[in-house]
Amino acid sequence: MRRIERLINLIAALLEAGRPMSAQEIRDHIAGYDGQPSFEAFRRAFERDKETLRAMGIPLEVVALDLLDDRVEGYAISKQRYYLPDIDLESDELAALRIAAEAIIGGAGDAATGLLKLSVDMPDTGGGGPRIVWGADLAAEQPVLGPLYSALIDRRVVRFQYQPAGEAAARLREVEPYRLVHRRGHWYLVGRDRGRDAVRSFRASRIAGEVATLEGTYDVPESFNAEAVIGGEPWALGPDPVEATTVRFDSAMRWWPAQNLPELAGREAPGGGVDVELPVANLDALVSWVIGFGPGVEIVAPAAARRRLLEHLAPYLDTGA
Amino acid sequence: MTKPAGGRVGKRLKRILILLPYAIRHPGVSVDELAKKFGVKRSDLFDDLNLVFMCGLPGYGPGDLIDVSLEEDRVYVRMADYFGMPLRLTPAEALALYAGGQALSELPDMAEADALRGGLRKLGRALGASEGEAAGISVELQHGPDHHLSVLRQALVAKKQVDLEYFSASRGVITHRTVDPWGLIAALGRWYLVAHDYSSSDERMFRTDRMKRVEMKDTSVGVEGNFEAQRYRGAFSGIGDTTVVLEISPAAARWFEDYYPVVRAETLADGWRRVELTTGGEMWGAMLLLRLGRDARSVAPAALVIRAKELAAAISQRHLD
Repeated sequence: MRRIERLINLIAALLEAGRPMSAQEIRDHIAGYDGQPSFEAFRRAFERDKETLRAMGIPLEVVALDLLDDRVEGYAISKQRYYLPDIDLESDELAALRIAAEAIIGGAGDAATGLLKLSVDMPDTGGGGPRIVWGADLAAEQPVLGPLYSALIDRRVVRFQYQPAGEAAARLREVEPYRLVHRRGHWYLVGRDRGRDAVRSFRASRIAGEVATLEGTYDVPESFNAEAVIGGEPWALGPDPVEATTVRFDSAMRWWPAQNLPELAGREAPGGGVDVELPVANLDALVSWVIGFGPGVEIVAPAAARRRLLEHLAPYLDTGA
Repeated sequence: MTKPAGGRVGKRLKRILILLPYAIRHPGVSVDELAKKFGVKRSDLFDDLNLVFMCGLPGYGPGDLIDVSLEEDRVYVRMADYFGMPLRLTPAEALALYAGGQALSELPDMAEADALRGGLRKLGRALGASEGEAAGISVELQHGPDHHLSVLRQALVAKKQVDLEYFSASRGVITHRTVDPWGLIAALGRWYLVAHDYSSSDERMFRTDRMKRVEMKDTSVGVEGNFEAQRYRGAFSGIGDTTVVLEISPAAARWFEDYYPVVRAETLADGWRRVELTTGGEMWGAMLLLRLGRDARSVAPAALVIRAKELAAAISQRHLD
């Protein structure tokens, strides 16, 4: 018998039984395991199968069969976690989710599979939906996101090796996941760093290796606000003390802050431009941001920020370097 | 590349477990419909069905095995109620679908937004999120003013040309362009318009936050693009054919390589990384150099440094006291 048949038989038996089965029962009764020459051979085959099911996200659980003897383990598939709860999607809601699934770039396979599961009772539209004119590259295919999200939903603490930018070695962190945030093209885990006893953000792409899930649970404080940890423009959060920095947009550029930073009131500047005051906590990020606009934008004050911009450009200035 | 969860067996098993509920709930579904819906060849589908036919519940007698029959190219699966309900979404599937839905539901003026939000709310509940909570995920995508997005969306649907006043940062000027809009792409945390640009007679990407003015014309599009979201994976830097080679400091290399679509990379003797990337043009590369400052050295093309110096001179001019 092929291994995949054995796996299907195992899932079928555990779902139908609706109660945990012991290893002995599985070996005696489930086709595919019964032919194993020894209990040891059975063990190896069964361990491998458990691993495959877990990797696929099938909720195979180990439970104690005997309250007095926790060495007697039973195996069960929780129906509640295996089957999709009845979520009662209207057909227009499903059609809208289909548009979203088709727009996803990076993670498209997962979105499509998810949609198949949701649309099992919906008539096939035969692909005749509206023309898709959107695409969203959300980099959702990073393998680390699944385990992080799973832990977040179940309120489980995670442990992983994390390597911040500019540090040579990764260090182990224990984090209570509060939220996953996609911002500026990256995924961040925002949560309480247990070692530091503070809410921090962790870039998913800097998590090295596996994410382990620990015992125990936690609560997300009601006062938690992801924006305060990770919000705003690149220069708004960072290592420097917050300092008001004035940036001038020339007359030809004054439309930019008006359209994109409408919450900031500008001051009229000489020559028809506008001065905008920004609370800057990361001067390097501000310098890079201002340079990105080209010659139509200038840091006006403080003088130290102007100097930093010149230092940054120095390798390309004939007088500098 | 990451391995499929659970290996090859896992991948096939996953397909079978998703396919079975559909086949069981739609008795008499045609082989072609199943093959199309689940993206498999007819021959693979027959293999899957033959395999399932050998499986079932302990006892494995005629009353225990899954009953699969094919009648005039129609599929009937019986005696497998335990596989008759759709599967719960894996965390990765839920995350991809949820993130994609959230990205689109934030677009202004989107006809499907209400249905999408309704669908996401129900999906969130199925994931275990409490009422009103956004299922632990935030997707933040910047775009220009809502008005711009609305006009672009209308033009996309009506297939009309669009007049743009667009800020070209590397040249520091506002340019006037007429474009045939093809689609909207979210990448690196912002929305871009993909369009045929008449001034360059080529496909271009435009940041929606750098559009000063957007106006739909009466003229129908002249060059129709075959918009497929998946084509734009990592293409944010401009759909271009200019190859730029840079050397990046060890400190900047790690974030650089997960931020920019690097085609090739190697470590040099001094620990710096030599990276090759495809960009929209020399000016884009020059701007990148300036923004990196001392963390980058330019290798090719030779003109990159000349462009960077011109640009640096213009920007620094007004920062000299």
